[in-house]
Amino acid sequence: MATVEERVVAVTARVLQLEPDQIKPEHAFTTDLGAESVQSVELVAMFEEEFGIEMDEDAALSVQTVGGAVDFITKVCKEQGVDV
Amino acid sequence: MRLILLDRLTEKRFHFYPLALSRPIWELRCGMTTLGEKLVAKFAATDVACFVPPYMAEVYAVATDWPVNDPSKLAGDDLLIVHGRLKADQGAMEEHVRPEGPSRVVVDDDGEVLFAWIAQGDLPRLKTDSVDALIESALAGLPKVDAQVATWNYTWDLVLANPGQLVEDFRAAGRSGIEGTVEQPNAIRGSAKDVYVAPGALVHPMVVIDAAEGPVYLDEGVEVHPFTRIEGPCYVGKKSILLGAKCREGNTIGPVCRIGGEVEESIIHGYSNKYHDGFLGHAYVGEWVNLGALTTNSDLKNDYSSVEVTLDGRTPIDTGSTKVGSLIGDHTKTSIGTLLNTGSYLGSMALITTTGTPLPKFIPSFAWLVKGVVTKGFGRGKLYETAQAAMGRRKIAWTPAMEAMWDEIHQRTAPERNEAIKKGRRALAAGQRA
Repeated sequence: MATVEERVVAVTARVLQLEPDQIKPEHAFTTDLGAESVQSVELVAMFEEEFGIEMDEDAALSVQTVGGAVDFITKVCKEQGVDV
Repeated sequence: MRLILLDRLTEKRFHFYPLALSRPIWELRCGMTTLGEKLVAKFAATDVACFVPPYMAEVYAVATDWPVNDPSKLAGDDLLIVHGRLKADQGAMEEHVRPEGPSRVVVDDDGEVLFAWIAQGDLPRLKTDSVDALIESALAGLPKVDAQVATWNYTWDLVLANPGQLVEDFRAAGRSGIEGTVEQPNAIRGSAKDVYVAPGALVHPMVVIDAAEGPVYLDEGVEVHPFTRIEGPCYVGKKSILLGAKCREGNTIGPVCRIGGEVEESIIHGYSNKYHDGFLGHAYVGEWVNLGALTTNSDLKNDYSSVEVTLDGRTPIDTGSTKVGSLIGDHTKTSIGTLLNTGSYLGSMALITTTGTPLPKFIPSFAWLVKGVVTKGFGRGKLYETAQAAMGRRKIAWTPAMEAMWDEIHQRTAPERNEAIKKGRRALAAGQRA
């Protein structure tokens, strides 16, 4: 089974139309990966779909980096009883 | 006699959503005035109180001079209780809604009280500690009249009745002539008796006011820019501005609106902007709405069949009319080039970005529509910030009471929104896999 990080990278690559190996944990979605505001919204939706979770939009959108998203999603999965 | 206007959280209330999410039903407009103003005029009431859904009481109390949700108003006088859905013009049913004779109630098919006349002498045997208690005890203790009184049943009823109501209201207002300024050259078609330009209104040169098929009433402080054509019947509310608009027949434009492009047989409640080109027809638009340039709604299906509207996100309702445009709730914004299908429902506080194709016909309140699907977007906090900014531009404050009311509306509209968000996620995922 893929790790949370691998899945986050895969979703990010799909939404932002990048190659997975271009995406590093320290990358910021907007300044490094070029996510526009609409794509940020799409990323939140796609992370929810990928992991089967519900995220608070304010908290989710305050996450800046890929690594931050991995930590945040891991925490939400734990809170919502989703095995990852 | 005290007139009690009534709007409770009953089953049919959603028939007037999204507009009635944030106001009592009688605040909706038809013709030159609100339904409530028509009821007050009909009964020549000087003593008026009202009962509204509790979550909007604090906000509404600031907007009205009438006492709101005050149980002390349920005693001390004869009571004429009138539901906001009751039509002021009852036609053949008039005798059933006269404030005289023995105490009685008139209910609809679902048992909802539409009208009650309660003589003061009968009040001691009824419960008056709350409006709900009074209604229940009146239903149990007073004779019920079996009569199909005339009611407004859906928001589109108001839109469809608007042209005729405008004519009646113009006649009832009894005003005509130019009391404001009409700069020349200008053209008035039809009879000058069918045009009223109120004091402080300013009509620029090169404007056509066509009253041949119905009256035109431009209220105080209205400004009409060049190359606007206004067809009657039409009412333009105080301090609204028409910007080269093609204002077709049958429009009610409330106060402080900015209107351009083509508008036909629509009601724009007030404080909303449709500044640019684009067609709006047979629509009801709430307050603080901004329709981006070229936003266009369809109001007629290609096969000329009757239009269906979905009010709850699930079940389409046949309007019985071939002409129904959009219902657009307060604070909703559309991006440039938005295309709205026939009979679209755009909830309140929704933010719509375009896809270049017609959008889903049901967009729930507080939705952020991205790539044609409903998402959580940036959340309601950002929507509140936008609402605050929009209202601030017109020097009106966003208050804690408003925020509390909208929080409640957010909660009340969550089921259909959450369902749409889930569908949206699936659609986005499918689109990316394809």
